[in-house]
Amino acid sequence: MAPTREVFWNIPRLGVVIMYLLAFAAVAVCGYGVYQHYRTWRRGKPASRLTPVGPRLRAVVVHVLAHGRLLADRVAGIYHAALFWGFVFLFAGTLVVFVHQDLGLRIMQGPFYLYFQSAALDLMGLAAAVGVAAALVVRYGLGSPRLRRGILSDALVLWLFEGILVTGFLVEGLRIAGTRDPWGPWSPVGYGISGLIDAAAISEATIRLGHAGLWWLHFLLAMVFIAYIPFSKLFHLVLAPANVYLQPLVNPAAPGRIDFDKAERFGAAALGDLTWKDLFDLDVCTECGRCTAVCPATATGKPLSPMHVILDLREEMKRTGTGAAPGRVLAGDVIAPEALWACTTCMACMEACPVFIEHVPKIVEMRRHLVMEVAQMPDTMEDALRSLEARTHPFRGAGISRAAWAEGLAVKKLPRGDRAEWLLWVGCAAALHERNHATLRALVRVLDAAGMDVAILGDEETCTGDPARQMGNEYLFQTFARQNIETLDRYGVRKIVTLCPHCYNTFRHAYPELGGHYEVWHHTQVLARLVDEGRLALTGSAAATITFHDPCYLGRHNGEYDAPRHILQALPGARTREMAQSRQKSFCCGAGGGLYWMEDRTGQRINHVRTDHAVATGAEIVATACPFCTLMLEDGVKARGTSIRPMDVAELLERSLRGEHH
Amino acid sequence: MDIIVCLKQVVDPELPQTEFAIEPATGRQVREGRPLVISTYDENALEVALQLKDRGGGKVTVLTLGPQAVISDAFRLALAMGADEMVVVDDPRGPDRLGGEKAAILAAAIRRIGRFDLVLTGCESADWTERVVAPVLAEALSAACVTFVSRVEAADGTLMVRRMADEGFHRVEVRLPAVLSVASDESNRPRLPKLKDILAAKRKPVHVWPVADMPAAPGDLAAGVEVREVVIPQRTTRCEFLEGESAEQAAALAQRLRDLKLL
Amino acid sequence: MPGICVVATVPDAAAIPSSLELVGGARALDASHGAGVSAVLMGTGPGLREATDELHRHGVATVYRCAHPLLTSGQVDAFLLATEQVLRAATPQVVLIRADTVGRELAPRLAVRLGAALVTECVELAAENGAIVARRQTYGGRALATLVVTRRPAVLSVKPHSLEVPEPAPVPGRVEDVAVSIDADTLPARVCEVLREEAEVGLDDAQVVVSGGRGVGGPEGFALLKELAAVLGGAVGASRPPADEGWVPISWQIGQTGKTVRPALYIAVAISGATQHVAGMSGSRTIVAINRDPNAPIFSVAHLGIVGDYRAIVPPLVARIKELKGP
Ligand SMILES: Cc1cc2nc3c(=O)[nH]c(=O)nc-3n(C[C@H](O)[C@H](O)[C@H](O)COP(=O)(O)OP(=O)(O)OC[C@H]3O[C@@H](n4cnc5c(N)ncnc54)[C@H](O)[C@@H]3O)c2cc1C
Ligand code: SF4
Ligand code: SF4
Repeated sequence: MAPTREVFWNIPRLGVVIMYLLAFAAVAVCGYGVYQHYRTWRRGKPASRLTPVGPRLRAVVVHVLAHGRLLADRVAGIYHAALFWGFVFLFAGTLVVFVHQDLGLRIMQGPFYLYFQSAALDLMGLAAAVGVAAALVVRYGLGSPRLRRGILSDALVLWLFEGILVTGFLVEGLRIAGTRDPWGPWSPVGYGISGLIDAAAISEATIRLGHAGLWWLHFLLAMVFIAYIPFSKLFHLVLAPANVYLQPLVNPAAPGRIDFDKAERFGAAALGDLTWKDLFDLDVCTECGRCTAVCPATATGKPLSPMHVILDLREEMKRTGTGAAPGRVLAGDVIAPEALWACTTCMACMEACPVFIEHVPKIVEMRRHLVMEVAQMPDTMEDALRSLEARTHPFRGAGISRAAWAEGLAVKKLPRGDRAEWLLWVGCAAALHERNHATLRALVRVLDAAGMDVAILGDEETCTGDPARQMGNEYLFQTFARQNIETLDRYGVRKIVTLCPHCYNTFRHAYPELGGHYEVWHHTQVLARLVDEGRLALTGSAAATITFHDPCYLGRHNGEYDAPRHILQALPGARTREMAQSRQKSFCCGAGGGLYWMEDRTGQRINHVRTDHAVATGAEIVATACPFCTLMLEDGVKARGTSIRPMDVAELLERSLRGEHH
Repeated sequence: MDIIVCLKQVVDPELPQTEFAIEPATGRQVREGRPLVISTYDENALEVALQLKDRGGGKVTVLTLGPQAVISDAFRLALAMGADEMVVVDDPRGPDRLGGEKAAILAAAIRRIGRFDLVLTGCESADWTERVVAPVLAEALSAACVTFVSRVEAADGTLMVRRMADEGFHRVEVRLPAVLSVASDESNRPRLPKLKDILAAKRKPVHVWPVADMPAAPGDLAAGVEVREVVIPQRTTRCEFLEGESAEQAAALAQRLRDLKLL
Repeated sequence: MPGICVVATVPDAAAIPSSLELVGGARALDASHGAGVSAVLMGTGPGLREATDELHRHGVATVYRCAHPLLTSGQVDAFLLATEQVLRAATPQVVLIRADTVGRELAPRLAVRLGAALVTECVELAAENGAIVARRQTYGGRALATLVVTRRPAVLSVKPHSLEVPEPAPVPGRVEDVAVSIDADTLPARVCEVLREEAEVGLDDAQVVVSGGRGVGGPEGFALLKELAAVLGGAVGASRPPADEGWVPISWQIGQTGKTVRPALYIAVAISGATQHVAGMSGSRTIVAINRDPNAPIFSVAHLGIVGDYRAIVPPLVARIKELKGP
């Protein structure tokens, strides 16, 4: 006889019928729940997230099957993987039974039965049971700080899991004991349990009774599980993989486009002003707290927690259902404006979220409502925007002109009639702050030494509009973007190198949507290339310990972590040291999202904390690649009274090029 | 209450010193290529007008004098903030005229606008700081006048205003019609316009009247006054250090402040 | 016919009208005309006699004296009626008015009524071949304009404190008491109340700002700065660190993420001069820096600098200013 087992041993026919009825009911409840959610998501505006299929499926493989992001937190990642794969196998086993029994395809036999259905399933079930136990210990025993405790449904879900697994093993053990299953040893856990039953010399009648009882318990727990899915955290079983598939593939932080000729409302006043994907996101959140754990605003005591932004919006979505109950104003009634204005748009939350929830676009959408619809924003941010409108840069009170930094340097200027292969886009934060003039001059010297043909726009350069965009004034942003595209096209600019990662991000991601297509490089990318090509004679020793601060708009927003490090490694004598929070986990300098123009007085200042991180490495120099980061770190160094020196990568490179020793 | 607010366009007073230049021919600031903004206190005046309108209804008309070609987007801001319409007296020579002369033209324009209860101006312009427009308008229009007003409250048929004074504040009761010049105050920080108002402002009426159509006002105060020259004092870019013992430095500083007429 | 008339007020029974400053200017202009200097002296009554004597003692030949209960603080309409009545009869060629609270409103209105030429806010006056050459600040103090007034009559307003009170030069004086009839009910604008207690100057509009930085060291240091601000009639501001430390209210912060001020005089005490701070005060007309570090960047935006410990400099500075300002 080929190895297999009887599926409904010890279960009477009537019991099987009842089982199917209950199973049907459970699926119906589940389906109803999903449909209710679906109706709420449909309140959102359109967003296209289904294609391209290839890269999306690849993301599912990486982040669902291989647990890519989840493993960023080792312990939690591993127990989640055990749990996940355990359940995937057990679910597959259930499907096998279904095919074997109900479809009549006799697949549950032979070696497949032994290796997969018995051995593999048994071991994976054990792994899941251990995983669940670990989750319970971490959450309730050790008290992980990022996880919220005392949530009934979370505990319920975990105990439900454990209950299903334990009853499953007991049922299996009783069946093996009761049927004297010759293939029993292939299911080691069940076999072990049957051994115990044998040893206890329990009568067959008792075994049958116990089996029947536990079988029904196991089954009912499983049905509760299914029915409970759309009403609990279990929903993420379905939604999380979906959300990985639906994730934004490029420029994840970008808020939605607004067509000002057509739009009637600007930004998100109510849930219906967000996209369906935004609303979908709300249901996906597993409340794991990873986003809040990495948020620099939360970490420094600001009234912002990205997880609570999601949860509070979800609460509002639950309350208003499909839109029958009157919605409240998101920015104000649901989320405090102070929370929205505390976000640096650093993307740490989105990078950490294992289910790819998009916090930043939602926050910016709500800011848009505040700025464009109700015209309310922090005074000093307002001043920055007024300055932008009146004098094309956001630095109210800046007493220098845009081209002042280039005085005495032979830099080509397009408005003067010069032509060049590359445009160096200087950026306001560099042009209008003396501290960054050194960086600019260094960059120009390096590019010159490498023989690159570069020009600037001089007084014709204006802000890219990015601060306006991050603060929520999309209209002003687009005004600037159109004007700049017009200027760039007038001079036939094709290749742009920017000093500032914010400008880089804007040219790279925001201008194409408005018709400005350029080849855009960040200065560290160009410099890394020049280093690689051996076009720079790095003679000066840079014998110093250097740590690198990843600018958010270069790193997380654009995935460039290596170019600056590559340059640092090329510096003769330089020793590099990483901060605990670097690369994807880098901690914001505090200036992004327009927060450079706002006092960050609640709690600690973000830039001071970041300075502490740099100091903790023992480095003498904290290198960076963004004029805002430089200013913020300079401020942090001053406030902390430490001797570490903030320097742009370009400055370090130029010193070595000049043969200067540190 | 029907309110007319006089707004003036000036070169951004925050312009870096390096970009500040005087045109020798006219003795006025070079405007070309420089950002133009609404003169500082004029926006406060507009805010006061809008607050009065918000509370008591009526109409707010903004009035400006200058070359029509350059009075464009920046001035739409006034309409976006909530003014109902705009009158531009198109005057290519506008920026070169002295305050008294301008006030006479503005008075003619106001008479042509017709109905008004209140005229508001900024307390001083960011460029020539003459402080004459409001008082001259008041005389020309036979209206009451109070300058440097920081707060305004309407009380049936009259206004109760708060004037900034050397010795503190004056509470002044003013009959209508009146001309007030407005100083900045926390209560009149110019509002940020909503986007829909910015977009709607594009459709609000703008009347352009050539300056030649303004009947010459009698008694031009600027006649017989000529600008001979306007010079940028050779400011030593280097700071002048006061030397000596502490007490001597202090005494020297006090003396310099006195010499600079700052005491 | 008197050539030059100064408008003097004694609203607060102060014996020496602050308009005495104008007398020096009037005398300078008069030297070339020889038409004599007169004054319209207005007040409620008390102090008028002493003021008349002061004017005579300083070279004013004719004093037209008006006493009326409404000729008091800020009643511009009353001053206007009185002045107009006097000057229509006296027909001077040049009228000098101090551009203070009353004068800045009075001068233009009077000019319209007299059909006169007008220049306001002069800081220097001189006579030149029968014309008057007046200087005034423009563009927030960035430029100095010279205007030539050829028409008569002319009304000139003079920025307070810009002319010196002249040395006494007694002349045998004449007094003409002018009866003015002013009916309170007919004044279009009437001062109901003078609020002196609120006179503490706000940062936004202060003409003088004394600002302290981290180097001030604590709230006690700011008490010293307050004293300095008080003698200068100004307000106290700060850079960010004192606001962060809680030494001063947050609303005092000046700079990129604080307030923007553009006073006539900005005194930066123990402030290093970071760009973010300078952004909020670079429009100030005269910038004074007191810092013990000679290389502090603040000195590159300051016009006058003192290198030293502010604690040794501010107290004698306060004392000296008090002396200079007199009782
Ligand atoms: C995004 C951002 C926004 C900012 N916004 C603002 C802003 O709005 N306003 C602002 O002011 N700053 C702002 N800053 C901070 C700014 O960069 C400077 O750190 C700050 O202005 C320094 O203040 P300070 O000059 O008082 O202190 P410091 O730079 O520490 O200078 C203290 C000075 O006092 C001097 N000193 C010490 N003791 C004495 C003594 N006994 N006598 C005389 N001199 C003495 C020292 O020589 C030194 O020059 C901002 C920074 C950032 C990054
Ligand atoms: S973008 Fe950064 S600051 Fe904003 S919520 Fe996310 S982690 Fe926090
Ligand atoms: S948003 Fe993402 S990271 Fe944050 S709690 Fe929810 S699932 Fe976790």
